[in-house]
Amino acid sequence: MRLTLQTLISHGRVARRMGLGPESRINMLRNILTGLVRHERIETTLARADEVRFYAEKLIDYAKKGDTDEKAMKMASFWLTEKDLVPKLFKVLAPRFEKHSQGFTRMARLPNRENLDRAKMAVLEYKGNPFPPLYPVKKENELTLINQLLKGYREEKTQELAQ
Amino acid sequence: MNLSVLIQSLRCSLLRIESRLLQASGLETNLAPALAVDGPSLPPQLHPENQLEEQQENQEQPSGLLDSILWMAAPKKRRTIEINRTRRRSESKLIKVKNNIEPCLECGHLKQKHTLCGFCYAKVSRETALIRQQINAMEGGPLRAPAVETVVLYEGETPSNQDKDKRIVERPRKRPAWFSY
Repeated sequence: MRLTLQTLISHGRVARRMGLGPESRINMLRNILTGLVRHERIETTLARADEVRFYAEKLIDYAKKGDTDEKAMKMASFWLTEKDLVPKLFKVLAPRFEKHSQGFTRMARLPNRENLDRAKMAVLEYKGNPFPPLYPVKKENELTLINQLLKGYREEKTQELAQ
Repeated sequence: MNLSVLIQSLRCSLLRIESRLLQASGLETNLAPALAVDGPSLPPQLHPENQLEEQQENQEQPSGLLDSILWMAAPKKRRTIEINRTRRRSESKLIKVKNNIEPCLECGHLKQKHTLCGFCYAKVSRETALIRQQINAMEGGPLRAPAVETVVLYEGETPSNQDKDKRIVERPRKRPAWFSY
């Protein structure tokens, strides 16, 4: 027996509403996903990036089935509005993620947009893209004083153990 | 007091209307001189000097919805500057202090803990834009994405074993320190 107002209260509802309606939301996400497959790194609002992430990973799962699979080809041709990306998806992205079972995308938050709306922004990328990394790889510098001292200490210890 | 005066005036006016209608229709059976006017059959009220003001007030006093105008909330006293200050500067109205700001380890600019550093990302973004310009020049037109991987090589770098089947994008500058795999 439902005692609450189903339409007016939205406690616990996790599905996001974007655009003009469900169809508009899917169209918007389709455009963003096409841009992601083309450029492999895009910058959008946090909500859109979060929504697209699910569809991007599902698309790779379909692509892994191979381009002879009827369902996979239908999905790819629906979701990619620019048809020159369909071969790229099956021949570049699917083999790239062969060894991985999940986690093909990386999302990082950016500082808020500079406009009046100060919208939350995020950058979304497929792993293994050719661009510079978002999180710079930390390289240990051998030539710092502390590292040189530690190196000398380690050498002395090995000499003592050898004697 | 006002209500009774109002009712009295209404009754007088109703009687006057009735007599005028009877006169006009000609159904009156009273025989009186022509200049004599049939007055109201009610005795006149005491305090005639106040009657005018009261009647004006009664006409002004509307009934029903507009009655509530006289019962609306209004401030009684001017709020002092001390009270105003305490309200304007209460904790809920001040800007909250953020304690999730820290310096970026690479460049030293300030960043939020859960966010990428703005300066470092701007560096990366500029370089990716230049790489994409080079890619566009190589492709020559829209909708010509090749079905091969891409690798970016800088000045003086030769493609290695891994870069055999890949499309090579050349950038005519030294490899930046923060871009290395």
